Amino acid sequence: MVSSNTTAGYGALREAPVPKYSTGIAKVVNSPLYRHTLGAAVESRIGRILLLAGVPMIWLMMLHVGPIYQMLKISLLSHYPVQPGVESRFTLDNYAIFFRESIYFTPLIKSFIFATAATAATLVVVYPVAYYVAKVVKPQGRSRALLLLLVPFWAGELIRTFSVIMLLANRGAVNVLLREIGFIDRPIPMLYTSFSLGFGLVYLICLYMLLPLYSAIEKIPSPLLDAAADLGAGPFTRFRRIILPLSRDGIVSGCCLVFLTCIGVFATPMLLGGPNTVLFPETISGFFHGASDKWPVGAAFALIMLVTALTAAAIFMRLVGGRKRRAI
Amino acid sequence: MSEILKINRRAALKLLGAGGAVLAAPTIIRPRPAWADNGVLNITTYDKFLPQEFIDKFQKDTGIEVRIRLTDDQGKQYNLLTAEGANPSTDIVTVAGHRYSQFISSKLLQPLDTGKIANWKNLNAAYQDASWARVDGNLWGLPILAGYEGLARNVDYVKEAPSWEIMFDPQFKGQTSYIVSDFMTIVMQYLGHDGDFVSYAGKVDEAQKATNEARDFLIKNKDMVRKYYDAGSEVQQMFINEDIYLAHSWSGPAAKLIIDGHPIQLSVPKEGTFGFCYTLNVVNNAPNAENAYKLLDAILASPEVGAAMTRQSGYSSTMNGVGDLLNEREKLASTLPQEEVERIIFFSSLNRDMKNEMIDRATAEVKAA
Repeated sequence: MVSSNTTAGYGALREAPVPKYSTGIAKVVNSPLYRHTLGAAVESRIGRILLLAGVPMIWLMMLHVGPIYQMLKISLLSHYPVQPGVESRFTLDNYAIFFRESIYFTPLIKSFIFATAATAATLVVVYPVAYYVAKVVKPQGRSRALLLLLVPFWAGELIRTFSVIMLLANRGAVNVLLREIGFIDRPIPMLYTSFSLGFGLVYLICLYMLLPLYSAIEKIPSPLLDAAADLGAGPFTRFRRIILPLSRDGIVSGCCLVFLTCIGVFATPMLLGGPNTVLFPETISGFFHGASDKWPVGAAFALIMLVTALTAAAIFMRLVGGRKRRAI
Repeated sequence: MSEILKINRRAALKLLGAGGAVLAAPTIIRPRPAWADNGVLNITTYDKFLPQEFIDKFQKDTGIEVRIRLTDDQGKQYNLLTAEGANPSTDIVTVAGHRYSQFISSKLLQPLDTGKIANWKNLNAAYQDASWARVDGNLWGLPILAGYEGLARNVDYVKEAPSWEIMFDPQFKGQTSYIVSDFMTIVMQYLGHDGDFVSYAGKVDEAQKATNEARDFLIKNKDMVRKYYDAGSEVQQMFINEDIYLAHSWSGPAAKLIIDGHPIQLSVPKEGTFGFCYTLNVVNNAPNAENAYKLLDAILASPEVGAAMTRQSGYSSTMNGVGDLLNEREKLASTLPQEEVERIIFFSSLNRDMKNEMIDRATAEVKAA
């Protein structure tokens, strides 16, 4: 019924004469050009679906699928960029290098360990903050509290990374403070270590954890917590039996976002990491601007990382998210 | 539906007109790509190589708009240029002399016509026809800045550094830094091998053995390193923050710290080191080649330009008369005692492929270890 009305509406619009007092939009809608192009397209259901899906599809194809397809294409070539006099042929050797050479396996494993640890640390650090904003701060103050937490993220990633350097360097704020109050005589080497990398990563990506967690925790009905308290449940029991299960959606989304961001992060480990924190993205970048210039190997490694990371995230979602569905 | 398909003459003309306008829009709006306009010059170069005052003056004098694209790596620049093929979007690239063979064999550069550079005589005679600069009988670029790989130290904490051995001295554990691939060649020299691979042409096993020895040495001493760095700005920052006291460094970034008054000294240890020269090269099929020659000529027109380059980058200028324009501190930063100068060997462009292949792999192994 709605559909036929809508169709009639479009038909009526098509036939309607342009009133003298009409707006510019009405003139456009009634113009033959519009009626024979967009107007005709919206007449049918398929046309409307295509029009609606068109923009996101173009966006996805050009900015997401396109670059990955190009990377896949390069990864299957023997040479790229192709130099004069050299013929590039199809090959799977670029993928075989990863499985043949154990030295490339180590950075990938390190990347996974770092990403997992950073995700866990971010969850532990951000969860209480998200809970505080969602449940302790009064409703009218929540927007302001969220805004305050978001302020640092208005600055770019690199600027925030450099701020971590200024904080943790031998002559950085932390060491200067510790020396001023007499705790230390010599600076503590904090920068270019696993600690500085972990600290920097958590700081840089906590937003991706905060927002899904806040959104999930805010939806937990407060009366439920009050009822549990009335029935004698202590804070830990309320957290374990009510808050944690009901915020699982946020935990899964936040963890996936943070994990996938961490695994591909490039600039931060380069700037904050040390000799023992060389991660897989840095190994990949070496193929793109190292002396030997091996784009196809770099492209193959990038795809290996993409597939591995997505698989890990999918398994995590299946394990954690799946259990929740069964519980419901 | 038949109503929709019934197009009158006016609608058909409008549709045709609109369709034609859409199709013709790219040509009407931009008849040639921006980088191919006659009034522009596209330069790919390193940060702080071309002084802004000089660029401003050149633009004002010639009416040519200069567009700078920064690079920080020879390989990256090579790859981008190769990917663009016969239609490069840059007119000038900045190539290190020892990478000439790679760029020339890939037909990415055009031979330099010094006849188009009226001020060529203002280039220091040592660089006008240097052996490394002439390949296949041609000169390929205008040398602008020269440097070397030196041992930089914070003199407040390290008084003397006569040998590269100090980079592995336990008292400086966790206070050294280097670019792995570059330092690998130095370590090969330190261990008594040929870090430039010139003598290893056709001797793969010998080269591999020497590379592996250097690699194993660096892995064994990995705990000495605070950080493997990539860009000159990183080593400058580490020295300023006192995160490191010793580093293998390109002379430019270290000299810049000295010019700026930091307690840094640069030296060439007794085992020797490698030197290199950056040149500005006109790209093959450059869309604005004539403008490129105008810029090269303008650079050589005044030693003030060379002095400004040295002050900005820390590297030594290749132009005549620059020394007279530098103050004492600037001269101190960019000069070495004669005995140390004699320890510098310029990188050769011979046997690059073998060197790149082995050093890249060894670098990955050191980092992954």
